[in-house]
Amino acid sequence: MRKIIYSSIFLSLVIILSGCTGSPSFLEPASPISDAEASLYRTLLLMSVVVFIVVEGLLLFTIIRFKKREGHKVIPFQRYRALIVEATYTLIPIIVVVAIFILTVNTMQTVAAPSAESGDLNIQVTGHQWWWEFDYPDQNIITANELHIPVGTTVFLTLNSVDVIHSFFVSQLSGKTDVFPGITNHMWLRSDTVGAYYGQCAEFCGLNHANMRFTVFVDTPEAYQTWVKNQQQPPPAPQNDLQKQGQTLIINGVCGVCHLLGQDGPQHVAPNLTHLFSRSRFAGDTYDLNEANLRRWLQDNQAMKPGNDMKSIKTLPQDQIDALVAYLTQLK
Amino acid sequence: MSAQSQASAILPKGNSPARTNAFVGWIATTDHKRIGILYITTGIFFFLVAGIFALLMRLQLAEPNGTVLTNAQYNQIFTMHGTTMIFLVVMPLSVGFGNFLVPLMIGARDMVFPKLNALSYWIFLFAGIFLYSSFFFGGAPDKGWFSYAPLTELTYSPTAGMDFWALSVILLAISSTVGSINFIVTVAQLRAPGMTLTRIPLFVWMMVVLSFLAVFAFPSIATAASLLLFDRYLGTHFFNVQQGGSAILWQHLFWFFGHPEVYILVLPTFGIISEIIPVFSGKRLFSYKTVILAGIVIAILGFTVWAHHMFATGLPQAALLIFSADSFLIAIPTGVKIFAWLATMWGGQLRFKTPMLFALGFIALFTIGGISGVQMASIPVDWQVTDTYYVLAHIHYVLFGGSIFGLFAGMYYWFPKMSGRLLNERWGKAHFWLMFIGMNMVFFPMHILGILGMPRRIYTYAEGLGWDGWNLLMTIGAFVVAVSILVFLINFWRSMRQPATAGNDPWDGFTLEWLTSSPPPVHNFDNVPTVTSPRPVWDVKHPEIADAQQKEH
Repeated sequence: MRKIIYSSIFLSLVIILSGCTGSPSFLEPASPISDAEASLYRTLLLMSVVVFIVVEGLLLFTIIRFKKREGHKVIPFQRYRALIVEATYTLIPIIVVVAIFILTVNTMQTVAAPSAESGDLNIQVTGHQWWWEFDYPDQNIITANELHIPVGTTVFLTLNSVDVIHSFFVSQLSGKTDVFPGITNHMWLRSDTVGAYYGQCAEFCGLNHANMRFTVFVDTPEAYQTWVKNQQQPPPAPQNDLQKQGQTLIINGVCGVCHLLGQDGPQHVAPNLTHLFSRSRFAGDTYDLNEANLRRWLQDNQAMKPGNDMKSIKTLPQDQIDALVAYLTQLK
Repeated sequence: MSAQSQASAILPKGNSPARTNAFVGWIATTDHKRIGILYITTGIFFFLVAGIFALLMRLQLAEPNGTVLTNAQYNQIFTMHGTTMIFLVVMPLSVGFGNFLVPLMIGARDMVFPKLNALSYWIFLFAGIFLYSSFFFGGAPDKGWFSYAPLTELTYSPTAGMDFWALSVILLAISSTVGSINFIVTVAQLRAPGMTLTRIPLFVWMMVVLSFLAVFAFPSIATAASLLLFDRYLGTHFFNVQQGGSAILWQHLFWFFGHPEVYILVLPTFGIISEIIPVFSGKRLFSYKTVILAGIVIAILGFTVWAHHMFATGLPQAALLIFSADSFLIAIPTGVKIFAWLATMWGGQLRFKTPMLFALGFIALFTIGGISGVQMASIPVDWQVTDTYYVLAHIHYVLFGGSIFGLFAGMYYWFPKMSGRLLNERWGKAHFWLMFIGMNMVFFPMHILGILGMPRRIYTYAEGLGWDGWNLLMTIGAFVVAVSILVFLINFWRSMRQPATAGNDPWDGFTLEWLTSSPPPVHNFDNVPTVTSPRPVWDVKHPEIADAQQKEH
């Protein structure tokens, strides 16, 4: 009950002031982890407000009460020690921080990873400059920037980077875990609320740090199964000559040097294209994925995401772009 | 160097009538007062530059998908804003006040090593110019003021920007180390007769504590920056993961410096506040000894909390809890200081001159930064808010609301001692209120943006995330702060056109610097009284209730 009151006060304050919701805020949690972190934060916020009122109140009171009056000449009493005062303002902060530390340890235990059971989902997360790779080893799925997990299932993430340090951050599902090259980190997720949650790299990782976003879809079990089945299919076959030409360009041309078509491939340098148009966004989750944007991307990717690794692809002839767009748009 | 030749090295410089060329006089000076003023002037210059960078960032972020700056430009500008504010603004301003004031406050004629003192300044200035020259040699550093490796390796940072950054930091480490040793030895050796350790002014104490911090902290970053340069050009691989290096080593080396560094940035301000609050309350500093002790405890604890910047890196749980507990502990001595200032004012007769306004602003704002700091020492909360705007709110409340407000308090307070002129009170108050309001408009919404999940260091953001309105408000606030700085500059310019009529002691001060003329002569004092308490000038003015007559605690 108390929790509801605090959160409604804080959130209504935020909503009144910002005029909109839909923010990726951990105060609107969609997982037990973020819920525990939010409730710890609300408790600390309440304590903070009390400390704030006491200190700033004392400051204001002192300012008003002890203002020097015009023409007042008496020298103030030069008191500079008062053991009881000093003891009070030392001991109360000690009690406050000890209390906060106990709350901290409690919440740490609440959000600690549960032990693994059968039926859990394992996902390998790989950070790249500047996109996310999601690898489902048990399902044989490799995808990018859009993570699908079934509602109510415990998910274990193994996190690595192939280049620099990134940080995996979906505030409504969990706090951050940094994603290192050469060091393997672990975290877990579970959401009981179906929805799409905003994620973003939270460790500065270079030029396009701001454009390294992703979305976590918490699906109903049925929707998740449908998604898995679809992702496990081989890439849809080309339906006409133009699409066939596009397929050849990708497999034998410059695209295939970095991009995978089909789940098995030599390297994971760039986002997997197998079911590209099953995704709703692209380019580090920054643009809606549709024919017009894809065409723009193939014409001048540097204008859309300056500094991205496709810089060598800038002068594709128009007929090749047409063929690529025709093939890629049907990779549902 | 013999005492005589040392003296002759000092004497002809500075205000000597024999030297007609004022420019050469400033270049060649070894007078601590002139060096202090050089530090402060340079610091203000870099403050204006970093402020312009801040305005550019705020223009870019005023609305979603902004197009004022490209990502490459934005990354250079936020890096240079942070690096400049930390190394080229707050540190030199603090050291500048230290240079000007420490010898005056302890009744000395100069720093113990005047030439080393000049060397510190010129290395610092050169490092600053060198860092900025990177703009003309392929681009400024663009990896943030803490420059995490391996992002700074040649593979990911092929421009020379990181080289400029690393070399400048090494130079600044040399400058700070030399300067710090100078402060420590000066205070150890040159105190006025009777000035025992428990009679040293608080500001001087804090300069000594920060000097020890600098001496022990800077080697860590100088080492890290050297290792980075070795990696980049000598084929080593300390941070190069592909060849067996460590991606987390830099963070340990950096924050072992970086956390003490934030205390380096704020301790001198604690000292300034501890001088100003008593004078404008007409009272002795409450609990003088525990305020000193609190500063020392903060400094020592400051070396044991570095990994609280690394809670999300996957450190073992036990390590997290130790660093969290240590970080909470720092709240206690910090609280002691704040309450000691409040207790000093309690029962006093408060005069709200501009220096006092800034000091009160400091207490009000630093408290907010302290509170958010405690929140972030709680690991699960930190996992949510680290690397978001919440952290930016925290550092700006402690470093802008704290250090910068404290330094402006010092600026208004000691300007008459430095120039012989008072800054105008009306303009000063306008400066204070504009800066106070603008500061809260820029930095308070950062808390909310942090809660709303906005990561720091992003040059752009999408619409529809609830971040737009706050960002626009912050941009407006940034320009209010900019106007307040203009008011300060106009005030400064107007005052410099007035005759020097401030007098020796315009604020009814307590410490030795108010005994000498404004500005002080080259040799500082004709004669120094025997110090009998932490407030020697009060004792002179009020012999009947002198501190010296009270029982010493």
